[in-house]
Amino acid sequence: MIDCNQARRALLAEPESADPEIRAHREKCPECAEYFERLGRFETRLASAIRLGVHAASTSEPVPAGPVDNVVPLQSAPVRSAAARTVHRPRWLALAASVLVAAGVAAVLWLAVPRASLAGDVVAHMAGEPQAWLSDSAVPAARLSAAIADAHMRLLPDAGVVSYAASCEFRGHHVPHLVVQDTSGPVTVMVLVHESARSAVNFDEQGYRGVILPVPGHGAIAVLTRNKSLGTAAVDRIAARVVGAIDWTA
Amino acid sequence: MRAQVGENQKRARFQALCQSLRPDLLRFAIWLSRDRSIAEDVVQETLLRAWKAQDSLEDEKAAKPWFLTIVRREYARTFERKRLPTVDLDDLIASEEPALGAADEQNLTELRLAIFKLPDEYREPLVLQVLMGCSTAEIAAQLNLSTPAVLTRLFRARRQLRVLCGEDTTLDPEE
Repeated sequence: MIDCNQARRALLAEPESADPEIRAHREKCPECAEYFERLGRFETRLASAIRLGVHAASTSEPVPAGPVDNVVPLQSAPVRSAAARTVHRPRWLALAASVLVAAGVAAVLWLAVPRASLAGDVVAHMAGEPQAWLSDSAVPAARLSAAIADAHMRLLPDAGVVSYAASCEFRGHHVPHLVVQDTSGPVTVMVLVHESARSAVNFDEQGYRGVILPVPGHGAIAVLTRNKSLGTAAVDRIAARVVGAIDWTA
Repeated sequence: MRAQVGENQKRARFQALCQSLRPDLLRFAIWLSRDRSIAEDVVQETLLRAWKAQDSLEDEKAAKPWFLTIVRREYARTFERKRLPTVDLDDLIASEEPALGAADEQNLTELRLAIFKLPDEYREPLVLQVLMGCSTAEIAAQLNLSTPAVLTRLFRARRQLRVLCGEDTTLDPEE
């Protein structure tokens, strides 16, 4: 049995811990439950702050030369001139790097990058809302209805317990962000009615495994899990079950 | 001919891998070095080294720790080569104060400055966990530390950060 100090200490080290002992402690200790809520909000800010804005690499220049859009510039001269750089590094090395890293990009970029960026954006959104994983009890029906209203859908009971529901801004649209309790653990579902996917795309990024599935007439759905023991087939099976539990109303 | 096609496909896959990991590697390098210019150099050298050594990456699933190791080594090499001057963070912050004040996300700016103020031994595992999604075991392997040591550093990192950010720490656990 762990006490409050041990539970909070463990949470400060690993806020996304799925340790059942910590969860059990939280359930029976209102003060710790409040602390976990506070910590969840802090983690959301922390994840956003740590995810500094960086430009996507272009096909011709692997390292962007311009200023990073929301990086806090801590050097008084954050962007050094090209001439200044050559003092420290042979020009041929920079050229070789550019040529090597750019080689072949043009051929694969239009296929690979759009798919990767949607998955990347989904994962980034997830990372910014770690509190979504904290609860395993069902959200009120009203909150769920509000979260999915914009997607013109309803969730059938087959989906399982929905422990988190929010309407989140994602790529300029409000989309349902749900966490569904599966036998393998919590699973995040994002209903991306404004996106499109030509085929299912599996991904494994930053500790999240998932798949983006095309839903004809309704955009795409992203399903993610933190359970690293799940293989692609298991993730696909979960995703298919979730998609099957959606009843489109428009 | 078939071998050449296979080689091209392999290179294209590696290229796509570099592209997908590069933004987070750059973020990691910025947090490591506290300097975007140095971070860009480090990541560029990292990609070059990775390209040359791509055959040693047998499993793409191991790409993240593989790249992180190269970034960390390259950053250490940069320090050895250039003998970078150490700079007082408070002076830097003071010199950039107008820019920081102009930021839209003032809360995030303050939090970022607080993260920069953390000692390296606390900042690095925190960034590996929060940004790179590394498990405690992966951080321990990357930093050559024991798991309890990593947990202690993560705990202290967040505790210090919360104090620096003026969070209500009355319920925070004791050391």
